[in-house]
Amino acid sequence: MAAFDIVVIGAGPGGYPAAIRAAQLGASVALVEKEELGGTCLNWGCIPTKTLIASSELFARIKSAGAMGLHVDNASFDYAAMVDRKDQVVQKLRNGVKQLLKANGVAVFQGSASFQSRNRIQVDPAGSGAETVVLAAGKTIISAGTASAMPAFLPRHERVVESRGFLNLRVLPATTLVLGGGIIGCEFACMLAQLGVQVTMVELLDDIIAVADADVRRELRRHMEKTLGIRILTGVTLEEITADDRRVRGRAGQENLEADLLLVALGRKPVTSSLKLENAGLAPNERGFFDVDAYGRTNVATIYAVGDVTGGPLLAHLATSQGLVAAENACGRYLHKNETVVPNCIFTTPEIGTVGLGEQEAQQQGRKIKTGKYLMGALGKALAIGEPIGFVKWVADAETDQLLGAHAIGPHATDIIAEAAVAIRAELTAADLAHTIHAHPTLAEAWMEAAHVLLGEPIHSAPPRKGTKSA
Amino acid sequence: MVKAVVMPKLGQSEETVKIVHWRKQLGETVAKGDILFEIETDKAVLEVESFYAGTLLKIIAGEGVTVPVQTTVAFVGDPGEAVPEVVVPPLPRSEVRSPRTEAKEPLTRPALRDTLSGGERARKQNPSPLPGERVPDEGGEGGGLFPPQPTFRESPPPVFKISPRAAKLAKESVIDPTRIVGTGPSGRIVERDVKQYLEAQGYGRLRITPTAKKLAAREGINLLSLAPKEDGSQIAVADIDGLLAERPKPMTRMRQIIARRLTESYTHAPHFFVTVSADVTELESLRAELKAQGASYTLTDFILKAAALALEQFPLVNSTSDGDSIRWHSKIHLGLAVALEQGLVVPVIREANELTLAEIHARAQELTAKARAGQLTPADMTGSTFTISNLGMMDVENFTAIINPGESAILAVSSGAKQPVVRNDQVVIRSMMKMTLSSDHRLIDGALAARFLNSIRQTLEEISLWQRSI
Repeated sequence: MAAFDIVVIGAGPGGYPAAIRAAQLGASVALVEKEELGGTCLNWGCIPTKTLIASSELFARIKSAGAMGLHVDNASFDYAAMVDRKDQVVQKLRNGVKQLLKANGVAVFQGSASFQSRNRIQVDPAGSGAETVVLAAGKTIISAGTASAMPAFLPRHERVVESRGFLNLRVLPATTLVLGGGIIGCEFACMLAQLGVQVTMVELLDDIIAVADADVRRELRRHMEKTLGIRILTGVTLEEITADDRRVRGRAGQENLEADLLLVALGRKPVTSSLKLENAGLAPNERGFFDVDAYGRTNVATIYAVGDVTGGPLLAHLATSQGLVAAENACGRYLHKNETVVPNCIFTTPEIGTVGLGEQEAQQQGRKIKTGKYLMGALGKALAIGEPIGFVKWVADAETDQLLGAHAIGPHATDIIAEAAVAIRAELTAADLAHTIHAHPTLAEAWMEAAHVLLGEPIHSAPPRKGTKSA
Repeated sequence: MVKAVVMPKLGQSEETVKIVHWRKQLGETVAKGDILFEIETDKAVLEVESFYAGTLLKIIAGEGVTVPVQTTVAFVGDPGEAVPEVVVPPLPRSEVRSPRTEAKEPLTRPALRDTLSGGERARKQNPSPLPGERVPDEGGEGGGLFPPQPTFRESPPPVFKISPRAAKLAKESVIDPTRIVGTGPSGRIVERDVKQYLEAQGYGRLRITPTAKKLAAREGINLLSLAPKEDGSQIAVADIDGLLAERPKPMTRMRQIIARRLTESYTHAPHFFVTVSADVTELESLRAELKAQGASYTLTDFILKAAALALEQFPLVNSTSDGDSIRWHSKIHLGLAVALEQGLVVPVIREANELTLAEIHARAQELTAKARAGQLTPADMTGSTFTISNLGMMDVENFTAIINPGESAILAVSSGAKQPVVRNDQVVIRSMMKMTLSSDHRLIDGALAARFLNSIRQTLEEISLWQRSI
């Protein structure tokens, strides 16, 4: 029986960095993965979707390039070639992870992990014919991730797919019903619409992307409906769903809907059923996620859990951060998780970047805040690149002017949110940010201008009626 | 039309009332029923509503002023209306409260949020009185039991000279300049002194986030007083918030009154404690029986009645002493301690010995409901001669209570619980309830306390008596 100081279950963005860090700290590390290195993020999530979205966005820009004086006639695309490129990008990154693990001396075991006891982990190779292995583990880090939820009311049919199933398609449907208006649903809807697919979205809640700031949501919905022509039905359920060889059908309220494909984006559930948690004495919560303490420990002191299986926001970068903390603690260090400032990026068109406290959230907390908003349409760079869309908004403490939250929608919003995250983590005030020289002409200038607005001293916009809002 | 706001007459006993806080400011609009101001009696803080709508035109009796009841304290009317000239009538000398009560006024100011002002702040945060600092007068209110305490006159602060540049640097650095030794003319602190001080104190090693620094400056926290973080990270807003959360805050007025009265009682009256266990098994059965018949009594009702009977039997317990003389109270007024979220109140059941159990029950229910609704008047809370504090519902084995000022004893009633006890040389299970009497030992000897308490116990256990009387 092979013995390791640390066994990591799941090689996603939570697991593989944890394995690498633990190895760097001198531990002997085994990493068990039942599918592909890189997990959901790299193989069926962030990376492949962003690769396809890059293609669809470029195509949309090419089609509208006439406005910038470029004439591109008969622009067209080959979806299968886009999928091939996506696969290449994924393959390249996957190889990169493999090399990194090798270089750090992490032993990778291909197969499905399950607990025999709290310090014995069985690895069953799936279909490869290799023998079952049992690993003796000093500490274990579970980063088993999540998979798309496919509730029982949905017909099991090839025309009904979740995100991972969709990424395997090599032909685009002409029409698509998107069930669920969360982040994943909206990203796919935007991509499909840009590639000419007729999209209808059905969301049970009153608005799409309920977690986002209300201003941001309004702006996104306007663009999705007006610019991309997506039909969005909110506050309604899709019922009586059927699928046959030709169409998918359903009823939303009084209306009958039909399409070539139903894309299901109803959230994700933890992948823990095959782990035989009971053998280790692990007790996940009623939703199936692990409750962990500030050091990443589960109810079993030698077993840590990181990433999606802990039930927090499903974000690769959060999983990585947690993985590194858990690895350090599993190696005998004593590190607190620090998750007060977690940026969230949404790759819709326009893009959304958000970090920290939202305006409505602040109001719910009864916290007195000020806000400062600056429209991209007033920014030189945004006009120059032909994307005067969206805005950035700061949320700051009304008394100290401490920057507490930042919300951006518009060109490169997902990139420029990084500055806001640093500013909030460093507890800068709006004045600190406003008095930091920002290069011109850049999109990041919007943060500086918005900070000026918040302070009631805007240079490049009309003085506000009143920049201060009280919660 | 201008209306005079008159200090209401609150009860039989209150002749003068102190205004502690005006809720409405001068010039503010007042609706009928709005709370105008808060008053303090020696029992509680109460709110006074406006009978009129309009604008608060003039406040005659400001905060901290004690006035006789039925006196005009303010005027409400239309904006700009002329207000009659009124002066606060002077109080008879004996009616003026001791300076100690008046000196409590700084407590109305929020302790947080006051700004940094060098020396004043330094002195305020220093727990030991500095030369020139006023030492609070600890003498009891109108007590006469202690010799008058020396009072210190407020003397001007020690000479503190600082150059504008040095003051600016100290302010920007968020430090306390009063700790710096000046080397300028006649000990004046100059910029060089501040720089040297900062260097000597290791100011350069201080790491703090911009917002945390701003917050510290606003709250008057000396950055040099902050301990560096163990993990070497920057001092953050959370650290400053933690310090602010630990700052002393004024207690509610109600708690201040409670604190004063309890301290007075516990320090003036030497407490003597005696405990008995009452067998309430049969009383509980009787209660259950009565409840089934539709008459629900609380255990407290029975205890109140039993105590009233015992007080008739032992008049000395229904008396009070100041250490020199004894005063017997002809009426038996029972105080009933009622716990509220803000603190304890003690409404009074008057002449409880004249009441039947049913009447006691009705009166206790009424007063408890009033207490919970915050509607007790000072009259409801004055004049008790003996108090009962029942913590039975709180699952306690035993406790002692502090005598309510103006009385000589208090009964602390604990939870009834099934216990193995010996009856006729057999161990049997009975519901036992402990009661502890606290008595003023100046007046009540141990044997008297024991007899008095056992009388209550016997009454409670004498089930035929209850059956006859209901």
